[in-house]
Amino acid sequence: MPKALRFRFSRGPELKYIAHLDMLRLFERAIKRAGLPVAYTQGFNPRQKLVFGLPIAVGLTSSSEYADIEFDQDISTDDYIQGLNAHLPEGVRVMEATAFSGKDNIMNQVASAKYELSFTTEDELSHFALENMVRDFLAKEEIMVMKKSKKGLKPVNIRPLIYSLTVRKAEKKSCILDAFLSAGAENNLRPDLLMEAFQKETGMTIRVDAMHRTALFASLMNEWKNPLEVANG
Amino acid sequence: MMKLALDESLLLKVDKPAKYTGNEWNMVRKNPDEVAIRFAFAFPDDYEIGMSHLGMKILYHTMNKRQDTYCERVFAPWTDMEQLMREKKIPLYALETYTPLSEFDLVGFTLQYEMSYTNILNMLDLGGIPVLAKDRTEGMPFVLAGGPCAVNPEPLADFIDFFVIGEGEEVIHELLDAYKAWKASGESRDAFLLKASGVSGVYVPSLYDVFYYEDGTIMDIIPKNAQVPDVIKRRIVTQLDEVDFPEDIIVPYIGTVHDRIMLELFRGCIRGCRFCQAGFIYRPVRERSPEKLLELAKNSVKKTGYEEISLVSLSTSDYTGLPDLCNNLMTFTEEEKVNLSLPSLRVDNFSLGLMEKASKVRKSGLTFAPEAGTQRLRDVINKGVTDEDLKSSVQLAVAGGWTSIKLYFMIGLPTETMEDVEGIGDMGINLIESCRGLENKEGKSLRLTLSTSCFVPKPFTPFQWEPMDTIETLMEKQYHLKDRIRKRTRRIDYNYHDAKTSFIEAVLARGDRRLGAVILAAWKAGAKFDGWDEHFSFATWQQAFTDCGLDPAFYANRRREYSEVLPWDHIDMGVNKKFLVTESLKAREGDLTRNCASGCSNCGAQVYKAGICVRKKNIDEKDR
Repeated sequence: MPKALRFRFSRGPELKYIAHLDMLRLFERAIKRAGLPVAYTQGFNPRQKLVFGLPIAVGLTSSSEYADIEFDQDISTDDYIQGLNAHLPEGVRVMEATAFSGKDNIMNQVASAKYELSFTTEDELSHFALENMVRDFLAKEEIMVMKKSKKGLKPVNIRPLIYSLTVRKAEKKSCILDAFLSAGAENNLRPDLLMEAFQKETGMTIRVDAMHRTALFASLMNEWKNPLEVANG
Repeated sequence: MMKLALDESLLLKVDKPAKYTGNEWNMVRKNPDEVAIRFAFAFPDDYEIGMSHLGMKILYHTMNKRQDTYCERVFAPWTDMEQLMREKKIPLYALETYTPLSEFDLVGFTLQYEMSYTNILNMLDLGGIPVLAKDRTEGMPFVLAGGPCAVNPEPLADFIDFFVIGEGEEVIHELLDAYKAWKASGESRDAFLLKASGVSGVYVPSLYDVFYYEDGTIMDIIPKNAQVPDVIKRRIVTQLDEVDFPEDIIVPYIGTVHDRIMLELFRGCIRGCRFCQAGFIYRPVRERSPEKLLELAKNSVKKTGYEEISLVSLSTSDYTGLPDLCNNLMTFTEEEKVNLSLPSLRVDNFSLGLMEKASKVRKSGLTFAPEAGTQRLRDVINKGVTDEDLKSSVQLAVAGGWTSIKLYFMIGLPTETMEDVEGIGDMGINLIESCRGLENKEGKSLRLTLSTSCFVPKPFTPFQWEPMDTIETLMEKQYHLKDRIRKRTRRIDYNYHDAKTSFIEAVLARGDRRLGAVILAAWKAGAKFDGWDEHFSFATWQQAFTDCGLDPAFYANRRREYSEVLPWDHIDMGVNKKFLVTESLKAREGDLTRNCASGCSNCGAQVYKAGICVRKKNIDEKDR
């Protein structure tokens, strides 16, 4: 049995108003309640050895969040999943887990993410019309947005960070886009920023109804991989 | 029953939307249709403040243990949320079931701070309940209030149907039973209020008439009929070990001010510092046993997953079994990787070793509260701390590696002269001098922060008759001190509280029921979150006083005679007026009064036959 696990969890609309660090604390407390033999860091202020793949912003739901956790003793994936789920609030669920080698943690591995972005437009829009807009949007060489950094707002070209953007639905005023975006510690593109840019470039007035993360990927030898597949790499 | 559907676009527009969605771990879930009584526990401030309040956790737990009652929580929405709620006509709702406030049977406010009074009006209004008690009709909720500020309920008499004086754990059951019986009887609203007034500890202000002299002072406070008690006796819990204490407390999703397990070691304080209301209104000292506390700590960690426990009481280091308790607790907390924090240790019995062992975290801040800058003034307020005590404590702390120390003082204490004010700065400078060479090897030198609040005379203290310094005097003292410190050293940070906020607090603290009109006028003119600097508008309050024809100085800056009828004279807190007068006279002479552990000073709290009053007596008898 493994001493470290990588697991996938979901976050439903019940808990979408919580910021990333609050989510982390929510897990730490649930792990403590569940009495799991989690390992702690050394030092004056011991923390659980728990690492999230990618911050999950306020307003975002997800079916594919990943995290790594280390233990002081061996634990089976089933014991972990069942034990923790019994102590997690409604809205978060651990779905699956696998042994983790402890080498390259999830935060370093995450490189891209898929999103489902639902929004409502002011005027009715056909599938064809929206597809044209998306094509024009992607045809631009530069899409500049103001991105928050530690030093304040700075302009960033997000076009290279958009791997794909396709129309799933455009019915009357209700639309859904599928987006495949760069993610991770270095070149992260938040979906709200993409929607902001899309709105600005197309000149449409839209109301974002929901943003849902459907997948996270690690990059291995130029291939997108499910993070659970590369947990032992 | 109406359940609100919360609009997403609304929640994404406000700061920290999780304040408004509930569903936290350990939130109590019940079917509202299956209970007889729906109680909304209302905290008249932000979620992050309210969720840090131990009293709410206790009463939430106590009430929800009853099958017939569902107690839910309501907080004051922050201004961004309030604006959207008003725009979209969303009534204020409870977090458990999203039910509007107006649909509850009872709405109970806790009064922790005078400057939250306008929030009560705002919350009632947002919740669809008339703000004035006289405008509430059959079928509407009853609005009650309790907590420390309820010891002088008069300024809120127009808004609150009834007050609960003292600790709520026992009296709340009597009230709920009475309410249930009344609801089944189908009698009138007035009939319930009359019935409630018969529950010991309950005060129904509309059943009393207040008569005034021409100079504005009170002539008499008289019950309107013979069934209503002349004096309302404060309720207390005599055996803390036997009363319920919550272990399965709600764990918020977002950080709150005190986001941890709070272990209440004891109630009351043996000290009797003359400015301190808490030191008098919670007497006598009643302790929980160390065994009970250890059990509570263990169960609480298991049920919440919290990573920190703090010991809360008025003067934690006075707990009789502290070393044993801490040793046992620390064995457990180290194993469980839980932090143990020890707040407000007194300077005179400060145990550095304990701090060293307990706080595994960074040696950042230590706080002491000498309260006054000279020995003379500390004797006046009965704060038995000497310069030497403080010096040795600070030296020990600095040698032990602490580099940031905060000292709390008050400005405007009775008999204070400019020399006393200067003493605050001098004390800081002397401390810095005395720590030279003791600082740690890493070269970080001692950083001292001096903080002054403005002294506000409070009911049921020996200073309840004292005039408060005027705003001008307080500011003059603050500037003088600031100037004096700045001229002599750069190693002291000095900060001070806003005198105008303290002035309004002082008016409300010792006010009578005529102030209801002022609170109403201020709220109508937009006053809310008055305890928050960014929201407090002194001009709004000044205008409210002018419009109502009342002089705030009458309440804040006037010396009251011992013979004067005070607005809270019909409230009996146990500690009696005779004792407070004696203490007031001793203060003028700078005479110290011994603490309860050293011997009884006959304050009046013996009537409760509880805690230290009984314990001391048993020991004394054994000695004989």
